[in-house]
Amino acid sequence: MKLLTHNLLSSHVRGVGPRGFPLRLQATEVRINPVEFNPDFVARMIPKVEWAALLEAAETVRTLPHARVHLPGEWGGGEWSHRQPRARGGTPGDDLGLCPQLHLVEVPKGPIEGYEHDEKFLRQMHHVLLEVDVLEGTLQCPESGRLFPISRGIPNMLLSDEETET
Amino acid sequence: MAAPRLSGTQCIAMDSNSQSNYKLSKTEKKFLRKQIKARHTLLRHEGIETVSYATQSLVVANGGLGNGVSRNQLLPVLEKYGLVDALLMPPHKPYSFVRYRTAEEAKKAYVTLNGKEIVDDLGQKILLYLNFVEKAQWKELGLQALPPGLMVVEEIISSEDEKMLLESINWTEDIDNQNVQKYLKHRRVKHFGYEFHYENNNVDKDMPLPGGLPGICDSFLEKWLKEGFIKHKPDQLTVNQYEPGHGIPAHIDTHSAFEDEIVSLSLGSEIVMDFKHPDGVTVPVMLPRRSLLVMTGESRYLWMHGITPRKFDTVQASKGLQSGIITSDVGDLTLSKRGMRTSFTFRKVRQTPCNCSYPLVCDSQMKETPPSFPESAREASQLEQDYVHRVYEEIAEHFSSTRHTPWPRVVEFLKSLPCGSLVADVGCGNGKYLGVNKELYMIGCDRSQKLVDICRERCFQALVCDALAVPLCSGSCDACISIAVIHHFSTAERRVAALQELVRLLRPGGQALVYVWAMEQEYNKKKSKYLRENRISQGKEEGTSSDTAMPELLVEQVPNVGSRDSECCVSSVTDLPEGGHKARTVTNAKLPVHTNRTSFPSQDLLVPWHHQGNPGEGKPGHPAGAHDPGPVFHRYYHVFCEGELEATCQTLNSVSILQSYYDQGNWCVILQKV
Repeated sequence: MKLLTHNLLSSHVRGVGPRGFPLRLQATEVRINPVEFNPDFVARMIPKVEWAALLEAAETVRTLPHARVHLPGEWGGGEWSHRQPRARGGTPGDDLGLCPQLHLVEVPKGPIEGYEHDEKFLRQMHHVLLEVDVLEGTLQCPESGRLFPISRGIPNMLLSDEETET
Repeated sequence: MAAPRLSGTQCIAMDSNSQSNYKLSKTEKKFLRKQIKARHTLLRHEGIETVSYATQSLVVANGGLGNGVSRNQLLPVLEKYGLVDALLMPPHKPYSFVRYRTAEEAKKAYVTLNGKEIVDDLGQKILLYLNFVEKAQWKELGLQALPPGLMVVEEIISSEDEKMLLESINWTEDIDNQNVQKYLKHRRVKHFGYEFHYENNNVDKDMPLPGGLPGICDSFLEKWLKEGFIKHKPDQLTVNQYEPGHGIPAHIDTHSAFEDEIVSLSLGSEIVMDFKHPDGVTVPVMLPRRSLLVMTGESRYLWMHGITPRKFDTVQASKGLQSGIITSDVGDLTLSKRGMRTSFTFRKVRQTPCNCSYPLVCDSQMKETPPSFPESAREASQLEQDYVHRVYEEIAEHFSSTRHTPWPRVVEFLKSLPCGSLVADVGCGNGKYLGVNKELYMIGCDRSQKLVDICRERCFQALVCDALAVPLCSGSCDACISIAVIHHFSTAERRVAALQELVRLLRPGGQALVYVWAMEQEYNKKKSKYLRENRISQGKEEGTSSDTAMPELLVEQVPNVGSRDSECCVSSVTDLPEGGHKARTVTNAKLPVHTNRTSFPSQDLLVPWHHQGNPGEGKPGHPAGAHDPGPVFHRYYHVFCEGELEATCQTLNSVSILQSYYDQGNWCVILQKV
């Protein structure tokens, strides 16, 4: 599940309505997938993004420990987790055990002026919206507390008959 | 300092129970034995070499995906002792490998975790056994089990008896045999006791063949009964002769035709027979010459069995031609050239309906309670659960293999959308449309987990949900598509609700494309593709019909449903919205079962799907031997009359209908949210 998808998801538990957004993301396993950068595409997404929800989701991912984040270049995926040792970047003393590949420390707080032509901005947004893939975790309805599982990258949003009956 | 040699004894002594005397208690001795056993098992069965000095890497026996321990359970436990660089959890194995940043941390884990209890995903307690390894490496030594209820008895007859049995068959004798040969491309058959009919894979119980079973079989059958290899005396025999290159497609022997025990004697040559479980597991089993294959229980009722048409089998070099499962160890395989094999398959004809524990693949039980037209929302939901959702879960893989060509007008719609559009595909199935236009951000939703899994394998964004409650924000989509979905809802209210949901997702000005099966299969005097395919297929040419996966067939046979692109229907009506159509509500009506490739008897009906276990075998159009279908599933449909879809859309809030057309047996609309 990409973070752009998460940005569109809303709980449909009976009675919740618009208070079912945004779903609270808890990720336990994430993969970074390189995706071809299309600046036009990203620029058109920007006006559709709910920023507060995106920032909240990005923060959840940013604070994951190393072993739970699969970086590009690793063997396959799925049940395997074999991280090749990578040189830790960043300034000395900045060893918080956080994933160095995620530039999420720099997720823009909102669209900046002239964003359509700002490649740095667009690349950052491209990365956070499209290249972060949540493999395992949960989504929680903020109103009802109902938990929806994410398994192998697929959120299961099925409700029981009682939960949907009108 | 040299790397410390950590023997089991020292390990225990270093345990937090620190006792100053090193005399081992009974529990400690037991633990030590188990740890050594774990070490030996790992080496012997998996080729994992453990070392007795500390390294960064450990093998965690009993802490594997194969024995119900998930990453989520194991990783936090391991992380307590240090920085985990990597956790390797090979699929289906009862162990994992963990590598720590330093040997010190690994040692801490080794000392503390050895013999420690954790809880697996079923809540059962298991003990972990840790050992140091130099590297994470193992051999794939396939620890599979035979399907339950399966047995192979070797050398059950002598070479002389084998020769005698082979010589006793007269192949050219009768005309009946020649009739049967028409159906089968890959092998010769003869029936005794009762004739087996390939059109419906059943026997005619009222017409036993004169003569019964051949006399020479009696002595063998008596012997096998006495020795307990079989429990019942069979009354039907099918003799199959396979030349090298011949096979038989994977199938389950019809439940209603035969009792539980099915036995098959292999003569002339050995062969490898593949057993397939509906979950996808395939077990290749060697059947040596002069062996008896006994299938009972699960192996008879649930697993499919088949023989791939080929001239060589891959067999286990070290075991030669002994019976048993063929290993998946690539270091121990070799090829064995096939010879001419004849099988004598003995079965007992069933006189009462089957009542096995596998109803979804049982033709007796599927027929017993025919569903009726639903009269409440709950009945509707239950009907859809039984005749839509459960079926798609069962047939997902096969279904997906027949849904590979996107329909041009749907593609046209998607390609007309501007770059960066957010599009929902409600009822996306196997994701056929999710990758059609790379400039769109498409999210697929489907009710079937298995179909969504296929979308995921193709790297599409997809989620599992119900089309009546799509978990996307209102007004978030620039466009939606719903192709061949809404006709699965069993009441008018639910069909309207599904359309309303699509409209809710759209932003103002957004468009939705909806396709549903049409009642009218002959429209403008042109028969739909579905109806047109009701004849002998063009055969060997590939690509005659884009979504076809049909083996060659004779005219009278019921064709393999899987190739259908659009559906057809005809005449009478059961339920129509107001709008000037002739309507006749039928109460408590049973849903008729449709015969494929013919017109539909009513608007609400069940359409059969003939499940084939291995759609990947053979290319489309390639003759795959006799038409031996697997289980039949029935899917519920409400097919739409001309104008019905439009009329339904007109009852929705804030929509206008931009276009309305007929496409290959479907009624289609393009809606716009105002």
